[in-house]
Amino acid sequence: MARSKSPKSPGKSPAKSKASSKPAKPTLAERADRHALYQGSVQVPEADIAIFEDIFMKLRGRRPLTMREDFCGTAYLSCTWVASHPKRHAIGIDLDQPTLDWGETHNASTLRPAARQRLQLLCGDVLDGVGDRAELTCALNFSYSVFKTRDLLRRYFESVRERLVDDGVFITELYGGTEAIVALEEERKCDGFVYVWEQASYNPVTHDTSCHIHYRFKDGSRIDRAFTYDWRLWTIPELRELLLEAGFSSADVWWEGVDDDGDGTGDYRPTESEENQESWLVYIVAQR
Amino acid sequence: MAVARRARREAAGARFDRHAYYERAVQDPENDAAVLAKMFRRYRTRHPLKLREDFCGTATLSAHWVRGGAGRTAQGVDLDGATLEWGRKHHLGGIESRVSLVQGDVLTEGGPKVDVCCAMNFSYSVFKTRELLRRYFEAARSTLVKDGVFVLDAWGGWGSMRPELERKRVGNFFYEWEQARFDPLTNEILCHIHFELPGGIRMDRAFSYDWRLWSVQELRELLIEAGFSKVHALWEKIDDDGDETGVFYEPRRCETMEKWWTFVVAER
Repeated sequence: MARSKSPKSPGKSPAKSKASSKPAKPTLAERADRHALYQGSVQVPEADIAIFEDIFMKLRGRRPLTMREDFCGTAYLSCTWVASHPKRHAIGIDLDQPTLDWGETHNASTLRPAARQRLQLLCGDVLDGVGDRAELTCALNFSYSVFKTRDLLRRYFESVRERLVDDGVFITELYGGTEAIVALEEERKCDGFVYVWEQASYNPVTHDTSCHIHYRFKDGSRIDRAFTYDWRLWTIPELRELLLEAGFSSADVWWEGVDDDGDGTGDYRPTESEENQESWLVYIVAQR
Repeated sequence: MAVARRARREAAGARFDRHAYYERAVQDPENDAAVLAKMFRRYRTRHPLKLREDFCGTATLSAHWVRGGAGRTAQGVDLDGATLEWGRKHHLGGIESRVSLVQGDVLTEGGPKVDVCCAMNFSYSVFKTRELLRRYFEAARSTLVKDGVFVLDAWGGWGSMRPELERKRVGNFFYEWEQARFDPLTNEILCHIHFELPGGIRMDRAFSYDWRLWSVQELRELLIEAGFSKVHALWEKIDDDGDETGVFYEPRRCETMEKWWTFVVAER
């Protein structure tokens, strides 16, 4: 989610007025909520938590209890985290108060009171390092890509490291592959709507990329550019170099295993060398 | 019989001169020399006279540089003595006094200050860490006069990040460019050049390159860190048919392509 910037408002097509005085029935797009659509199309917090647990357990030999979610948006992941274990705490940080408010109403308020108490939502800049230290900090969905210079991204990584406990672990994601720098549109059917990921442009000189998420509905209505991202597409070696410069003791790449048909197994392993693919998504795991 | 034929082919392959084929297939030194002068004049009001060609190989570019203008001189630096010797023999007839070829390491080899320092054909890609490449850029900067410029080329595109074999006919032989491996964890790329001569005589892996594929943005960042005052990432204009025009400009935005190569120019 474009959590460091306010995503553009969904484009709503005006309801067509017909000759009759009967008000037009709102389209599915008009009735949809883009945050709900985002959660239903992009996020699977249970899967993220399973992977975090697996990685943290392998590195530290225990289950992590405290997590910071940078660029948390609606804090769907943080809410799922505190609900997943009676001793788990989460801190969600985002610049955008209206998005946090949405998360409070739709996600946090559904938690049991005890779980809600273990969740802290902060409106602030991830560069400022607000809030308590945690065992695990995550920055998912490539949100850190809004930091387009090495200086800014290093500052962000320094701030992440600062807010980790002594043996804390930072987990972030990166996408790439030969198709990551091609203009394309990918559709995926979700529950009641179609999710569209558009890579609108990529500048090979600056590595700036502009991407959009659109939603399409059965009645033909649509929300174009529900979310827009203006990113720098960083590469794996660049992230590793910056994490080490920021003081992390290691920065490793966890790559997804594939089955005999070439499909991802959901099982991630650290690796030092891989063949490039059309499209890949990796976890970058940095130890404080 | 088959074995004997193969042995004959291999013997012929061993005899053939890989430098000559490389120059014919890969290099366009006359054009490159003109481009270097043009790049200099783009940012300066005078004509450049002194060139330093790092990773010069056979130094055909240096030779064309000095032949391209009275008063021009060149220094070529390369690690490989045999390649320099080949260049001396084939390119420096009559201009020996104006071209000096030095066997040495571009990281440490000093020399006279020059107007233009260049590193062509991506040779700087042998430096795989930021630290080493920054050190090289610092060394290149130190060879320049006060208003000198450093010119290097860069390549990329999604077609550069996967295994690929390109085969192209050049006169009476074939040139093959093989991208054997690209590793997204390190951006390391392993490439080979193969030649196939008439009669099917092959010279496999005539040249091999174990590189890091640096992006233009990474080059820009490192050049600035190395002390250059301005860095210009240029892009070639293409015409309506999508063909290259030889005209370069500094784009505010540009479209990516399957494969591209371009120039980066850094002002001292």
